[in-house]
Amino acid sequence: MTKFEYDLLIVGSGPAGATVARYAANAGLSVLIVDKKQELGSPIQCSGAVSRHALEEVELPLDEEYILEPIYGFAIYNQVGESTKIDYRKIKGDEYGSGPGKKPLGYVVDRRRFDRYCMTQAERAGAETWLKTEASGYATLPDGRCAVSVKRYNEDIEITCKVLVGADGLMSQVGKWAGLQTHIRITELAGCLQFIVDNVETEGLLEIITGHEWAPGGYAWVFPKGHGYAEIGLGVIPTMTKQPAQWHLDKFIKQSFFKERFANCRILEVQGGGVPLAAPLRTQYADNLVLVGDAARHVNPITGGGIHTALNGGKIAANFLIEHFQNPAATFTAKDLKGYQDAWLAELGDKMWSLYHKKTAVFHHEDIPTRDAYLYETMSDYFDPHSEYKKI
Amino acid sequence: MSKKKPVIFDIGWNACINCGACVAICPQEAGFISPFDTIAVDRPCDIACLLCEDICPVRTITHREAVMVPTAAALLAL
Ligand SMILES: Cc1cc2nc3c(=O)[nH]c(=O)nc-3n(C[C@H](O)[C@H](O)[C@H](O)COP(=O)(O)OP(=O)(O)OC[C@H]3O[C@@H](n4cnc5c(N)ncnc54)[C@H](O)[C@@H]3O)c2cc1C
Ligand code: SF4
Ligand code: SF4
Repeated sequence: MTKFEYDLLIVGSGPAGATVARYAANAGLSVLIVDKKQELGSPIQCSGAVSRHALEEVELPLDEEYILEPIYGFAIYNQVGESTKIDYRKIKGDEYGSGPGKKPLGYVVDRRRFDRYCMTQAERAGAETWLKTEASGYATLPDGRCAVSVKRYNEDIEITCKVLVGADGLMSQVGKWAGLQTHIRITELAGCLQFIVDNVETEGLLEIITGHEWAPGGYAWVFPKGHGYAEIGLGVIPTMTKQPAQWHLDKFIKQSFFKERFANCRILEVQGGGVPLAAPLRTQYADNLVLVGDAARHVNPITGGGIHTALNGGKIAANFLIEHFQNPAATFTAKDLKGYQDAWLAELGDKMWSLYHKKTAVFHHEDIPTRDAYLYETMSDYFDPHSEYKKI
Repeated sequence: MSKKKPVIFDIGWNACINCGACVAICPQEAGFISPFDTIAVDRPCDIACLLCEDICPVRTITHREAVMVPTAAALLAL
């Protein structure tokens, strides 16, 4: 039987896993990424909004292969349609815009193309990728490494590695294998549905619509989607409504203050997913194992955005591992890998925890109008150019 | 705590968007998954919290009580 041995085995080639792989392979570690999909990023479970800063921070080239449309700011709406517009083309017109020498604030990306691009970059750095390969368990070995069971085109294969990186997204099972506490509370997971549509005008802004009336426990959004298309979506917390996201999205399109704007919209794609508006996992490592991205609940609990945190968390994990592997006598017990979580908390996690407390404070208000007012204010503050949080 | 009766799930595949939200909320042990990124439909769930049904954005999960008839395999093992 062929023996497969790597320094790192990464389960999941989303933004988190592919970033760990790219940095680690670049530094000379032997890396295998496995992903069960046949086409990365598909079916799409993401709106694809990401800041330019987030891409530059992990040295990912800005490429039209995956960019659908540039973004220049935000518009936050309250329940009745009053808005706070934060358009960087107006606030910092000399820096932001579409003209020569000017830049966008961020992008809406196509997750199918984006995830493939991230994987390609990892492969070019020296990582190996196996698609159609599902990981199903791991066991620590007496020699200090671990064995991971995968199935690739129906063939059962065992792979030995020093560190298993769980980058397997929201549905993560890798953490469960190690007995980590990964459970999300039903009050903290938003069920989301979104439509890519034709015939809805947008103006280069990410539009966020708050209010219990439209999206109980979450918010609704309208994003530019390139080629003249837009995306209309929303997420709801199941304990705050008796209806599913689909019902709320239908109501938002037909009854909200945008009903005239949406009157001629044609649905081109249907997508959805779950977004954890939760705290990061308290323990993100075990013997021979670290978790990154959605698998570790590295998601911004106010916006639900998780691309930036997946990319950045991936880089933090890789840097920790690269350094750790430099010691030829290094071992890979939970105790050895705790440093990853410490580094993550210092660079990113402590900020996410404070966002989580902010979010919890908003939803602590039982009275709906009061809660709506706080959510609108919190969202508007969050996207304000002077916000202390603009980096995540 | 009242002991819930085990249930078997039925997924309306026509409406399912393979989003995995049901798996994400599920407190079952690792591997309680179908090949289409949903919760398992080929064996009973003894926790029966039904959170998977609540989170589903298109509400396409339903359940029935799992009837505990011994399976052929179990009978053969006797
Ligand atoms: C409706 C919706 C809208 C969103 N919009 C935005 C947005 O606009 N901006 C933003 O920043 N974030 C957004 N997010 C969040 C964002 O999509 C996630 O945070 C991000 O994808 C997390 O990346 P990841 O690499 O951790 O995991 P994922 O991208 O989920 O990748 C995980 C990978 O692991 C693979 N995998 C899983 N299990 C196994 C296994 N056992 N074996 C092999 N492979 C496996 C999967 O196939 C997948 O490719 C949105 C999410 C949803 C649901
Ligand atoms: S009832 Fe609860 S435990 Fe059973 S499959 Fe659904 S979410 Fe999982
Ligand atoms: S939550 Fe509903 S739509 Fe999503 S995968 Fe599960 S059954 Fe399908």
